[in-house]
Amino acid sequence: MKKTGAVAALTLSLLSGVCVALAGQQMPMSFFVTSVGVGKGGDLGGLAGADAHCQMLAAATGSTGKTWRAYLSTQARPGQPAVNARDRIGTGPWYNAKGQPISQNQAELHGDTLEMAQRGSDLYKQSALTEKGQLVNGAGDMPNMHDTLTGSQLDGRAFADTMDHTCNNWTSSGMGTAQVGHSDRTGGGNTSWNSSHASRGCSQADLVGTGGAGLFYCFAVN
Amino acid sequence: MKTTAVVGLALSALLGSAFALAAPQAGADPKMSYFVTSKAIGKGGNLGGIEGADRHCQALAAAAGAGNRTWRAYLSTQARPGKPAINARDRIGKGPWYNYKGDVVAKDVSHLHGDTLDQARLGNNITKLTNLTEKGEIVPGLNDGLNPRSREYAYMLEQTVSNRHETLTGSQPDGRAYPPGKDYTCDNWTSEANGTSDNLRENQGANVQVGMSDRNGGGNGSWNSAHGTVGCSQQNLARTHGIGMYYCFATN
Repeated sequence: MKKTGAVAALTLSLLSGVCVALAGQQMPMSFFVTSVGVGKGGDLGGLAGADAHCQMLAAATGSTGKTWRAYLSTQARPGQPAVNARDRIGTGPWYNAKGQPISQNQAELHGDTLEMAQRGSDLYKQSALTEKGQLVNGAGDMPNMHDTLTGSQLDGRAFADTMDHTCNNWTSSGMGTAQVGHSDRTGGGNTSWNSSHASRGCSQADLVGTGGAGLFYCFAVN
Repeated sequence: MKTTAVVGLALSALLGSAFALAAPQAGADPKMSYFVTSKAIGKGGNLGGIEGADRHCQALAAAAGAGNRTWRAYLSTQARPGKPAINARDRIGKGPWYNYKGDVVAKDVSHLHGDTLDQARLGNNITKLTNLTEKGEIVPGLNDGLNPRSREYAYMLEQTVSNRHETLTGSQPDGRAYPPGKDYTCDNWTSEANGTSDNLRENQGANVQVGMSDRNGGGNGSWNSAHGTVGCSQQNLARTHGIGMYYCFATN
């Protein structure tokens, strides 16, 4: 009796979950991993080009009324201050293409307190979907595409040293390197989504060489 | 002389790769000092106390040829009158810990838990792909073997490819015990009682804190402290995709 009740309740809750999804009442998408890169390695046409790529991919799925930003930092140049990825993406909460939560706010996304950082956010392989709602190939998949361009430190801010971490502020497809995170949070000896290691170089082949495809994160600011 | 060394090196490299091709891996790497239990005890959160849980680790390790080490379950217990709390992090030695394949999952206790903000943000090397059992198996995780029955214990036993990522720890994210009061340890690993609600957030009774062995789901992907359960029976654990597995570490 008890068992039947529990099973019935469970079935009901599963069913209602499906119904919500079918009725389209889910939270609208405000986060995705680009299903394709720009195709020119680390040359994204600067931040503006990367933002336009986000906006175009989102629009192709029928997403409307949102302003999209690429999760990318740029480094300071004479007369040009650095831009921090975390300062570009609004305040959250952010949801993926299936309406599942990614993070409630900036502090959770970046682990701004020790306990938040230890726990982590809802961004992992099964939730970090493309704008089409598809999984991104990760470690163990062929080909691995988990290296995600960020040019950022763990806290989501730009690097302050003189080394290149942003493929010359997203204009180089040759010289330089870009800091990448792992969309599946697997590999490189850590589980960082936004600052796992540096790329080999900035050409498309260099990005592919370490398990990337020049993909990056897009967040809606509204 | 130098050439000989190079030739020798090349030869051993060739032999090594030939060997690797011929026989993938005969068993656990001799360095193995960490695994996820391949088999649950089967009595929900009743593991026979922390000692019973340690014995289970030791028996599974011995069957995998790693019985020469001293194994400890990664579990905390809550304080009781006259009995201080035990922190999981204080039970497991100093590391580094290696999985079945000989890959490092964490260098030391601080790396494992993220004791500094940078360490915590970067994370350890515990992932679905490194979190192997003592037999070298990947533990099925979020969205694996999707089925309406995937939350039934009987089904989980039948269909070993279905999600079972919830891993008993009874611990906070820093690897320490919860204060006495609300149950986070199935009464210090002796209880199979039902909770007070089928809703995770409303359950005020028998409960256990779990981590996600695949680092996916559970509201955060924490390996050791994602959320509680709806109780301590075997079926209660299954309800949220657990089967009663836990982490074992060698202290030496």
